[in-house]
Amino acid sequence: MAEEKKYEGYPKYAPGTHVSTKDITERKITYTWWEPEVQYAWSLGPAMSRFLQELKAGKIVGKTCNKCDRVIVPPRMFCEYCFGPTGEWVDLKDTGTVETYSISYLDPDARRIEEPILIGVISIDGASPQHGFMHYFGEMKPEELKIGMKVKAVWKPENEREGSITDIKYFKPLKGGEE
Amino acid sequence: MTFTEKQTDPTAPMHWRGDMQADYFYPNGVAGDKFFKHLMEKDSFLATKCKKCDKILFPARLYCEDCFEEIPDEDWIEVPAAGTVRLFTVATINAQGKKMEEPKVIAMINIDKTDGAMLGIINTKELKRDFIGVNVKAVFRPKDKREGTLKDILYFEVV
Amino acid sequence: MKKEVAVIGAGMTLFRRRLKETGKELSYLAAKMAMEEAGIEKSDIDMVVMGSAPDAFDGIHMKGENLLDGAAGVGKPYVRVFNGGGTGVFGPIAGWWHVASGVADVCLVVCEEKMGSCFPHPQTAFRHIWDPILDRPLNPNLVWLFAMEMNRYMTVYNIKKEDIARVAVKNKRNAVGHPCAQLADPNITIEDVLNSEMMAWPVQRLDISPPSDGAAALIFCNKDKVRQFTDDPISVAGVGWNIDSTMWTNRDLCFPRYVANAAKMAYKMAGITDPPKGIDFAEPYDPFDYKELHHMEGLLLCGKGEAPILTREGVTQRDGNLPICPSGGLLGVGNPIAATMGQKVCEVYWQLAGKAGKRQIPGDPQLGVGQAWGDIMQMATVMALRRG
Repeated sequence: MAEEKKYEGYPKYAPGTHVSTKDITERKITYTWWEPEVQYAWSLGPAMSRFLQELKAGKIVGKTCNKCDRVIVPPRMFCEYCFGPTGEWVDLKDTGTVETYSISYLDPDARRIEEPILIGVISIDGASPQHGFMHYFGEMKPEELKIGMKVKAVWKPENEREGSITDIKYFKPLKGGEE
Repeated sequence: MTFTEKQTDPTAPMHWRGDMQADYFYPNGVAGDKFFKHLMEKDSFLATKCKKCDKILFPARLYCEDCFEEIPDEDWIEVPAAGTVRLFTVATINAQGKKMEEPKVIAMINIDKTDGAMLGIINTKELKRDFIGVNVKAVFRPKDKREGTLKDILYFEVV
Repeated sequence: MKKEVAVIGAGMTLFRRRLKETGKELSYLAAKMAMEEAGIEKSDIDMVVMGSAPDAFDGIHMKGENLLDGAAGVGKPYVRVFNGGGTGVFGPIAGWWHVASGVADVCLVVCEEKMGSCFPHPQTAFRHIWDPILDRPLNPNLVWLFAMEMNRYMTVYNIKKEDIARVAVKNKRNAVGHPCAQLADPNITIEDVLNSEMMAWPVQRLDISPPSDGAAALIFCNKDKVRQFTDDPISVAGVGWNIDSTMWTNRDLCFPRYVANAAKMAYKMAGITDPPKGIDFAEPYDPFDYKELHHMEGLLLCGKGEAPILTREGVTQRDGNLPICPSGGLLGVGNPIAATMGQKVCEVYWQLAGKAGKRQIPGDPQLGVGQAWGDIMQMATVMALRRG
C-alpha cells in the first residue's frame, strides 16, 4: 500500500498511488493500451426522420401536443409531460431568440483555439416559449451575443444539404425588417 | 395508445450513422504492475497466497476477494510459467466474426502450483487433438522486447 | 413497515488525476477503510451496492461486474446503480433501500471511478452523452453545456463573476484539511480564479473541478442492530431523487427544479418544514463553482438568486451560519464522478459524528444534507442524515 500518513479525523489516511503523465511516458509503471472500434446506426424514429427531411428541404418543423397546448421542437412522437402521443406537424419559422450561449475557446477535443466558437440555445419562432435547439452563431462578434437577441438561420445551399442539423450553418443576428 | 402516424415513405432517412471514439490506458494496477514487471525480467509467473484460506491466487492480486484480506509482499511466490490444459476450443472466427485463415487453439490453462488459471493460445498444428490434461509451457517475447503487458507471452507450447 | 437506517462506517481513497490502482483495487481500499471504522468483516455484510458512472470512463463494459471483487461482492446479493453524476448520492440511496426494506441488516455501498483510463482526456467519453442526431453533428464539448447554464443563471439573476469565483476559493481552501484532496490550495484568491484561462465563456479553468480516479465506501445498518457498533448513531433522516427531461433545450436552465423536487421529497421524509432553519450544513454538488450556488437554491436553502449573497457575506464558510461544502467539495478534493460520495454523504456522516478533524464544523451540527447532480443537467439525488 502507499505510504500511510495519519491525519487527525476521518478519513485517517488516503490510500492510493498517484501516477503522473511522466510516469506513463517514461514507462515507470506498466499498462495496457486499447483502442476499441465501435460503429453505430441509430434508429431515427418517425419524428426525427421527418425533422431531418424537412431540414434538407430548408424548413424547421415542430409537432403539437394538444393536451399540453404546446408546439414542440425538436419534434417527438410522444409528449414527455402528459405521456400521450403528439398531434400535427407544424411549419415553424427559421428565426428565433437566444435563450443562452457560450463563447468557447476550446474546440470539441478540448484544444485551445484563437477564434472562439459561438454556441447557444435558440428558441424557434412559432414554437412554444423556450422550445428550440442548440446551434452555432455566426456573422457577429462575441460581444454582440446577448440573451434575448433575435436571430435567423443561415442555411447551406440546397445541393449541400444532407438531412442533418448541420444543414443550418449557424444563426445570424436578425436585422430590423428581415423575416 | 400508439403513435398517431406510421412511416410510409421508403426514401425517408431511417438511421443516423456514427461511432464511439475513445482510446484507453489501463494501468495494470498495484498487483498487476508487480506481476508484469517481474515478467519483463524473468520467464516465470508470480502468484499470491492468502494466509486465511490458504489459496494460491492466480492471477496475482492485492487482496483475496473471498476473505477480503490484503496480501502482504512476503506472501507473493514465484511459480513456473507452465500448466495443464483444463478446457480448450478450436477457434475459427476472429473477434470481428470473420473467418480466420488458420484456426487457433484457445485454452484455459491451470497454472502449476497455484489454484488459478489463465487463457492462452496453444501454438500447434494438431487441430484435432484432445488437449485436456496436456502439459504446456509459456513462450515469451525476447527480454529486450517485453513491454509489461499480456502480449509479452507469445503463446503456450506443448511440453 | 420501513426500517430506520443508520450509517456505521465510511472510507475513501486518495483522489488524483490518475492512480496506479485498478478499479477493483481502489474499491477494495475504500471498502476496507469503511469496514475498519465499523469494525466488521466481509461476512457481516448482507448485501452490496456498487455505484459507478459511465463504463466509458474506466473503459470496461459492465464494470459493475468487473468491480465486484473489490467491493466485497463475491457471493452476495449485488447490484450496480448509475445515474451519471447523481450516483454519488444515489449509491447511498440504493443502500438505504436495501436496509429500509428489511431485506438486509448491513449493506455496503462502494462508489468507484477511473476517469484517467480514458485517453487523452475523459472529454472523449463525455462526447457520447449528447444526442447523436441533434447535438453530436455540432461537435459540442461538454464545457459548452455548463457554460450555457452558467450564463443563463448569471443573466437571469444578475450575478457577478466575482461572487461565483468566491465559491472556488472557499472550497479549495476548505480542502486543505482533507487527506485525499487533489486541488487543495490555502492561498488561492478570487483574482487567481478570474485570471485563469478562459475555456468557454463564462467558464474559466479554475471554475471547474478536475477529472479524477478514486473510490469511496459507506456502510448502512438496520437501526435496531446499531448498538453493537456504536452508542452515537447517525441515521438517515430523508432521501429524495428526481429527474428532468433530456430535452434540455426546452427547459429554462436558471433554476434546477429537479433538485427542488428531490429536496422536497427528502425534507418531507425528514420532517423539515423550514430548510434554512432545519438544516445545519450541506454538501451540494459543486463540479463547477456556479453549481454550488445553483444547487443551494435548488435545495431551498435560500431564495432564487440569493446564494451569491450568502457566500459574499461569509454565511457559507465553515464557521458561518450555514456551512456549505466543508469538505472542500469537488472543486477542492476532486471529481471522480460516483466516488464523490466521499465528499458528499461520507463527509456529512463524519461531520455529524464529530470525526472530521481539521474540517470539523464548530457548534454541534445535528442535521446535514448531501446532494449530487447528473446526466445532462437532469438528475438530482438528495440524502439527509441526522444525529441520533
